[in-house]
Amino acid sequence: MSSDRGIIATGVTVPRLRLDGAEIEAAWGTSAPVEQAAVPTADEDSFTMAVAAARDAIESSRLVSNDVEHLAVATTTPPLEEEEFAPRMVSALGLDTDSTVNTATQSTVAGADALLSAARADGPSLAVVSDAPAGDPAEVGQRVGAGAAAFLFAADGSVILTDTATRSRDAPGIRFRESSTETVEGLEITSYERDIIRDLVATSVDALDVTSDDVTGVSLHQPTGDIPHRIAGSLPYDAETISRGTLVDEIGDAGAATPALGLLAAINASEPTSQTVAGFFGSGATATALTFETRDPLITDVDEALTDGVEISYAKALRERGTIGETEVAGGGAHVSLPSWQRSIPQRYRLEAGQCPACGAVAFPPEGACPDCHERVQFDTVSLPRTGEIVAVTVIGQGGAPPEFVEFQRRDGPFAVAIVEVTASDGTARFPVQMTDCDPEAVSVGDRVAGEFRKIYSVEGVTRYGLKFTPE
Amino acid sequence: MTDAYLIGAGQSDFGSFPSESYRSLFDNAFDEAVESVDSEFDSDRIDEAFLGTLGVGGRQLGLSGPAVTEHLGLHGIPTTRVENACAASGYALRQAVMAVRSGMADVALAGGYEVMTDMSGDHTKWWLGVSGETEWERLSGTTFAGVYAQMASAYMREYDATREDLSRVAVKNHANGAQNPHAQLGFECTLEDAMNAPDVAAPLNLYHCCPTTDGASAALIASEEVAYELSDTPIRVAGAGAASGRVGLFQRDSLTSIPASESAADRAYEEADIQPGDLDFAEVHDCFAIAELAAYEDLGFCDRGEAAQLLRDGTTDPDGEIPVNTSGGLKSKGHPIGATGTGQAVEAFAQLRGEAHVQVDGASVGLTHNVGGSGGGATVHVFEQADGGAR
Repeated sequence: MSSDRGIIATGVTVPRLRLDGAEIEAAWGTSAPVEQAAVPTADEDSFTMAVAAARDAIESSRLVSNDVEHLAVATTTPPLEEEEFAPRMVSALGLDTDSTVNTATQSTVAGADALLSAARADGPSLAVVSDAPAGDPAEVGQRVGAGAAAFLFAADGSVILTDTATRSRDAPGIRFRESSTETVEGLEITSYERDIIRDLVATSVDALDVTSDDVTGVSLHQPTGDIPHRIAGSLPYDAETISRGTLVDEIGDAGAATPALGLLAAINASEPTSQTVAGFFGSGATATALTFETRDPLITDVDEALTDGVEISYAKALRERGTIGETEVAGGGAHVSLPSWQRSIPQRYRLEAGQCPACGAVAFPPEGACPDCHERVQFDTVSLPRTGEIVAVTVIGQGGAPPEFVEFQRRDGPFAVAIVEVTASDGTARFPVQMTDCDPEAVSVGDRVAGEFRKIYSVEGVTRYGLKFTPE
Repeated sequence: MTDAYLIGAGQSDFGSFPSESYRSLFDNAFDEAVESVDSEFDSDRIDEAFLGTLGVGGRQLGLSGPAVTEHLGLHGIPTTRVENACAASGYALRQAVMAVRSGMADVALAGGYEVMTDMSGDHTKWWLGVSGETEWERLSGTTFAGVYAQMASAYMREYDATREDLSRVAVKNHANGAQNPHAQLGFECTLEDAMNAPDVAAPLNLYHCCPTTDGASAALIASEEVAYELSDTPIRVAGAGAASGRVGLFQRDSLTSIPASESAADRAYEEADIQPGDLDFAEVHDCFAIAELAAYEDLGFCDRGEAAQLLRDGTTDPDGEIPVNTSGGLKSKGHPIGATGTGQAVEAFAQLRGEAHVQVDGASVGLTHNVGGSGGGATVHVFEQADGGAR
C-alpha cells in the first residue's frame, strides 16, 4: 500500500421513494423505529444501485471505467443467494474484463471488507457497498432502507486509509437470515445485542491509531439512530461527531450500506488533516474499524441524494418491495431466450451501436444490413450517449403490460414507453425504452431523458438488467 | 400470363365463438364464398390453397393449413400456411393471385382464420404483441397498442390531428359496421362515446383500438377462362402490390407513416394503371385509429398531415369522395388476425357486385390494404369490375 494511495472519488445512490415514519406508525399504531426509510423501486436492487453509485464515482474522477483494475462489492442482499453478480457489474460499468472482482456478503460488516479489499489492491480499485435488505412486514419491518456508496481508490488519494482494526467473538443471533428466506431476523435480546455491538465496535475503534481530537466525523453500525450513540458511550466522541456519520433516520436500515453512506457523509464534513472513523459490525460477530485521513476535500452529493425523495404510502412501499407476494404469467408466445438476451448485453448495458463504414449511418442494435444503405457491412463500434430526446411515447396502463412486465407493473403501476433519439457520431439513432422513476402521464415528445441501470424483468428465475430512462 | 379474378368471397361471423374451432370457422367462410359464386361451384376445381394465420394461442402452430383444407374435404390439394402477422391473408391472397397468373393453378383458394378469444388472460398476454419487434420493442415493455400509440404521439406532435380526429375513425367505422351482420361490434357509437372511453395506451383509448376476434374468411381466385365460365360479374385483380419494412417502429425512418404501405400501394397502382383518385372505395387496415389516418396518406388519398381533414370533411364517409371501411373495418367488424386480409376482399367483392351492406353508388374500382404488425409487411390489392358475359 503506497502511502499516498487513497480515495480519489466517491459516488452515492439512494432510491427516490421514501416511507415516512408516520406511515409506519399509522399502519401499526406503534412508534416507528426510524424517522424515514428509502424504498427501492420495483426495478432496483443491490446490483442496480451499486452500478449507479460506481458510475457516479468513476464519472466524478479523473479516470475512465476501463482504468479500473479491481472491483470489490459488498452487500447482505445479492440478487441471488448463489451466483456471482460482480462480473455482471464489470460488464454494466464497462470495466476491463481482466479486472479482478471480490464480493463480500454474509453480514453487515461486508462494507469494511470491500473497502479494505479496494484499499489494499494494486491499481485503480472500486469499493462499492450497496444494500437493500428485506424486513418482515409483520414486525414493523418496513424500517429497512436501501442505498449504495462507492469509493474509487488510486494513487494520489484525497482521503487515505491510515489504520484498521478488527475484533471477533462467538456471538450469534443479533441479525441473521435463514436459508430460503429474504427476511432479516434478530432475536431481540436487547441487553445481549447492545453489549456485543458496543463491546466489539467500541474496542475495534479504540484500537485504531488515531488521535481522537483529530476526528471530525464517525460512522458506526446503525440499524437504528440510537445505536451509534450507545456505542459511542464508551468512546471519546461527542454526539455531534457521531451524528455527522449517522443517517439511518433518513434512509432506513440499509444493511451493509448504512455505515458506508455514513462514512461518505462524515468525509464530507472533514477538513484537510482531520480524520474520519468508521465502525462496521456484523452479527456472528465481527467488528471492523477504519480511519481515514483527509488530505484534500472530497465532497459527495450525499445531501442531494438524501433529499431528492418522493414520499409514498405504507401500502405502496409493500407493493414496490414485492412483500405481498409475486406473480408469474403462465404460458409463452415470444420468449426471448437467455443466450439471445446475453448477445445483446453490450447494447442493453452500454448502448453499443454500429456505424456503417460505407455510408456513416448509425445502426442500433448493430446487426443485419445497414439501416440506411442496406449494404451488409461490418459495423464500426460506437457508443451512444445515455441522454437523448423522446420522439414518441405512450403509457402502458395497469393490466396492459406484456407478460414479462406484469410483475413490475403490479408493483410500480402504469409506466411510459418511449422511442428515444440520441445524437451519435455523425447522425442519430433511435431505440425503444421503458421509462422509470417518473410520473408516466407527464412524459411527452420532446422531453430530454437519461439512462439508468435497472432490472428489466425476470423469467425462469433469471433477472435481466439493462437501461431504462428517466426525465433528465 | 392470364389475369386473376375474384369469383367468390365469404366470411364467417366475426366475434367470440367458444363453440367453434379454427377449422369450423373456416368451413363457414368457405361455404359463404362458394355460395357467392354465380354458377354452381364444385370445390374439386380448387387446385391449391393459401391460408393465412398467425397462430395465436399456439394450438396447431405447425401444418394448420392442411388441417383446415382436409377438415373441409379439399382432400389432398397442396396447402400453404402463410404467416405475415395481421397481413397473413393479404399475402395468402397475393399467393393465390400469383399461382393463377403463373398458370400453375386455374382456381386457387385464399383465406385466413384466427381464434383469439378462447385463452386465459395469461396466455393472451403472451400472444398479443408477438408481431411487434420482440427483442427490443416488446422488451421495452411496449404492447402492440403501445407501438401505434407511439406513432399517434409523434403524428399528433407533427401534424394537425387530435384525439377527436382519432375518435372520428371509430364513429364512422362503427356506423358502417352497424349495417354488417358479420360484424363483431356491430353497433353505432357517438363522438362522445369514442372520446370518453378509457385509455388503452395514451393517446389511444378503447374506441381507438380494434377488438380481439375469432373468425375466418375465404376468397376464390380463378383464371380468366374459369372466371368467365363461372361468373356473371367477374372481378379482376387489377393490381397486387406488397412490400416489407423494418419490423420495429424505432427502426424506421418515419414514425408517422408506414413506408411498406406506401410502396405496396405504388406497386398496385402502377400495375392497375390507376391513380388513387380513380378509386371508388377502400378497405384499409384500421387496427388502431391512427393506422387509418396514416393509411389515407400512405395510400395517396391526401398529402402528409391532411388525413384528419378528410375525416372532418366526411370525405371517407360512405357518401364521400373516397368511402373507407364500409364493412366497419377492423374496428367494428373485428380483427381475427389471419382472416383480415381476405376479409377485406369479401367487402371489395360485395361492393363491386353492388351487394354491400353499405353500398357505394356505382362502385367499379376499389382497394384493400392489409398491414402486418406495425408495418413490417403490407399488401395492397386493386379490384375492378370486368366486362360481364362470355368472352
